[in-house]
Amino acid sequence: MNPKYKSIETKYREQRESFFRGLNNLDRRSFLKVSAAAMGAAAASGVVSCPSFQSVTVAGQDSASQRNTPFRFAYISDSHLYEKKINDRFARALLRAVEDINSLDPQPDFVFYGGDLAQLGQASELDFGAQILKEVKAPIKMMVGEHDWYLDMGEKWRELFGKPTYSWDHKGVHLITLNSVVEEDFWTARGMSSMERMMTVAGLDNGVQSPFSVGEPQREWLKNDLADYSDDTPIIVFSHSPLYKLYKKWNFWTDDAEDVQATLKRFKSVVVIHGHTHQLLTNRIGNIHFHGMLSTAWPWPYAPEGMPELTIEMNRPDPFNPNDGCGDGEVQVYADGLVDKVYNLWNRKQITLSKAYMISWGSKGVPPRPNRPSY
Amino acid sequence: MRKISTVAHVRFVMLCAVCALMAVMLMSCRDEAEVTTCDGTGKAMVAEDATGQELADSLMAQWKRDHPDADWVEQEKERHELKPPADNSALLKGGQSEGHIYGQPTERDILLWGRETEKFVVEGSRIFHSADLLGSTVAVSCDMCHPHASNTHPETYPKFQTQLGRVVLLRDMIHWCIEQPVRGKHLEPDDPAMRALEAYIMAQRSGTPMNYGKH
Amino acid sequence: MKIVRVVSTCNLLGSFCREMVVAVLLLSVIAGSATAGDIPRGDHGAATMDYQISELDKLLPASNLRKAPQGFDPVVWEAFIPADNALTAERVKLGHKLYFDKRLSADGTVSCATCHDVTRGFTDQLATSEGIEDQIGRRNAPTTLNVALLQTVFLDGRSPTLEHQAKLPIINPIEMGMTDGSAAVNAIKDDPEYQAAFGKAYGRPVNYDDIGRAIAAFERTLIFIDSPFRHFLAGDERAISAEAKQGWVLFNEKGRCVTCHPINTSNPLGTDNRFHNVGVSARHQDFSGLAKQALKALQQDSSEEKLDELALSTDMSELGRFMVTKNRSDIGAFRTSLLLNVGITPPYMHDGSIATLWDVMDHYNKGGEANLFLDGGIEPLALTEEEIDQIVEFLFTLTDERFTEQNKRQFEEQKKQSRKKRPLRDNEMAFRLKLAFEK
Repeated sequence: MNPKYKSIETKYREQRESFFRGLNNLDRRSFLKVSAAAMGAAAASGVVSCPSFQSVTVAGQDSASQRNTPFRFAYISDSHLYEKKINDRFARALLRAVEDINSLDPQPDFVFYGGDLAQLGQASELDFGAQILKEVKAPIKMMVGEHDWYLDMGEKWRELFGKPTYSWDHKGVHLITLNSVVEEDFWTARGMSSMERMMTVAGLDNGVQSPFSVGEPQREWLKNDLADYSDDTPIIVFSHSPLYKLYKKWNFWTDDAEDVQATLKRFKSVVVIHGHTHQLLTNRIGNIHFHGMLSTAWPWPYAPEGMPELTIEMNRPDPFNPNDGCGDGEVQVYADGLVDKVYNLWNRKQITLSKAYMISWGSKGVPPRPNRPSY
Repeated sequence: MRKISTVAHVRFVMLCAVCALMAVMLMSCRDEAEVTTCDGTGKAMVAEDATGQELADSLMAQWKRDHPDADWVEQEKERHELKPPADNSALLKGGQSEGHIYGQPTERDILLWGRETEKFVVEGSRIFHSADLLGSTVAVSCDMCHPHASNTHPETYPKFQTQLGRVVLLRDMIHWCIEQPVRGKHLEPDDPAMRALEAYIMAQRSGTPMNYGKH
Repeated sequence: MKIVRVVSTCNLLGSFCREMVVAVLLLSVIAGSATAGDIPRGDHGAATMDYQISELDKLLPASNLRKAPQGFDPVVWEAFIPADNALTAERVKLGHKLYFDKRLSADGTVSCATCHDVTRGFTDQLATSEGIEDQIGRRNAPTTLNVALLQTVFLDGRSPTLEHQAKLPIINPIEMGMTDGSAAVNAIKDDPEYQAAFGKAYGRPVNYDDIGRAIAAFERTLIFIDSPFRHFLAGDERAISAEAKQGWVLFNEKGRCVTCHPINTSNPLGTDNRFHNVGVSARHQDFSGLAKQALKALQQDSSEEKLDELALSTDMSELGRFMVTKNRSDIGAFRTSLLLNVGITPPYMHDGSIATLWDVMDHYNKGGEANLFLDGGIEPLALTEEEIDQIVEFLFTLTDERFTEQNKRQFEEQKKQSRKKRPLRDNEMAFRLKLAFEK
């Protein structure tokens, strides 16, 4: 596991090792070229006293792929639980998702929970959800959604699941979980009670609430967290809101998306996995790939405008089947950090948005088109 | 009791907000300030550096709390964007209107028709967005699958609705949805709530051509 | 012979089924014994071919083949008749002859009418059918009544047309057991009656494709849609009882039946012609293991050959539609059953594992059987005993009036059975006190 802060000695040792590894692959002529280039680079960058070697990119060496192994993780998202005695439908769906994930063979490296575990942020709902998720065999990582947060501003969530914002490293990939449903205070001026605030946020089309954002403090945290990672470290960001601007009226929106994207811009491979949208959703902005997670509870229709071009809609679900348009899924992470996103739609054929589709901007590996679009 | 129109009341409150703002500025050394309307009936606590909008919002919120049912139309419109009814002002023109008893709408008529239609649709929106008003026994409301009444496609009725195994009208499908996913109270086809729901769904889709039988 | 059947089916279906098979046995014995003295029986317990032919003559006097059946939408009817097999009297007569002909089986004991017996609801009223050399299959024989109105044939829909379907049981090793189509042709081609009949019907010598066509043409005449319920829909308020009417309301509302079992004038069958996993296959002991095997095969090698190999291994039969489409969403899915004449075609479900319509209601009431591929439309229904009785009474009104006596007998027997034992009843699940997959 890479420590977050490396000592200066460790950093230089790593640089020397990677340089020598590259040297072993060169013939004499190339070696001379490389050393000349290194001297030139050192001179050009104005480094006067050079305590170590400058790392040079040598043709044929990809330090990232040598370090990383591909892996697979699963996800469950947006369960919107009520207490069992009020509505058991969402509980049954989450139980089915847990059973789905537990029966995967081989088991995923970890399971990611995408937010909105509770429907109205009640302690009983969160407890119920935590109890069901305890049955997941693989290690589980949690993310908060607006339905979990706005009753008590995250008090119960923190008690059950710890900090909403955190990061960790796994097989060479740096993963980050954000709380991207921060809303500007709209409730104090209106004198709303906490339940009124929660009900307002719970309505997708309720225009009284503010747009989602990551917010200045978290953006700062993100900059610091990423500071020590080189540009070729694969990054995966988990976010409840999409981290781009799709449709403001349904809060399929992150107000400071551009700022967050700017911070991520320097990395070669960035994948954002988000919740909230309850549908097949695909986007790419620059080098950032965006994939939405399915909900276990219910599907949203597609927004009337602002849809990303790369998205191929899923078939309009049948209201007779409360599982239609819902499901769970997996993410296959390649050594270079890019992903295949697998949508395990219940009672439908699985759909995969492959790495090939994303890197070809939608010309290769195109998933099947819907015959029943939402309208 | 004298009835005040909403528009006039809003203006009144804005005026009082300005008065209140001046009062706050005078008390700039306090963290929080109490503001009152000029006639002394409305009162609210606001932060010292509150903007004019926040002041007005606070006073309005307090007034609404004191008069809970007075402005549900505006409340609903604030929460959920609604397509306005058609503009009928063209009916005021035309030479034949003068000689035709039933062809002579006035400006007030048109305003009235618009208001009544809008209120009917807003009532539908209120029910549409409320699990309680739908009588749902599982705390589900229509907007949980149909935000802004999207994906309801009322222009496709009548059609063979596979979920019901027969040809139906929009109202029958609303009834089915209330019965199955919403598990709400049974609504007869001519129940005012059913009619209001149908009105809201159709209103949100205004401008779309009729296309019966489309799946 | 009957005892042998009990043992072998129990090996296939698991231990708890013993009671159910005995119940089915009892039912078939009782059903048979009521008229045991009247109906002469032959190979594999089917009524003799001659007796069946005479019964069919009584049920179906000669009809005008040019028009759609009485009360059926003529435009829709036209769509169901393929271009290369228009309905003519000669073709129907040829198909009739073939349907009852045991020469089409390897040991000469099985004809179509063995498992699709005129006296037993055009099925065999057994859990799974018995073929040549007393071999037991894994699937329940669907009725040939009204089979012309189906959009897809076989419980896993692997035949798109009746013509295609009719040719398959003949060459199936445990059904009629002919080695291939030419063996079937050889069995009858020297018969001068057949030579003449094929010439008149199709203008060709005896061939296997035309055998399929002729049987299909005959099956298209087996239209029995004249039920009391149809009269009720047409406006006769006295056609069905008040209880049955309430059952029809429940069928459309609380019971959630109508979505998969629609009944209307263009489709009176009560099936949506789609494939759903309702959990019956999940009750088989090896189901989840089989499903995992199938998924692994899909992941590793989804070629046609590999999967056809799997299909031939009969264990995979429980995976149903999946073996045809190779779609994960079709694991354990079977075609929605017909409801028309459902009263006289027990036992129910693709493996005949459910003995009475009350048991069927118990199965659905508790939300089917939980499994990872369950159709999400199946949920616990919270129906009370009274409501179940009403729905069942409604279902028995869907039988054609020509079978009224048999229907009434079935109703009485199933009712008696249902008062004694209800193996699938689970009120905890039905009333949502317990949830599927809950620990």
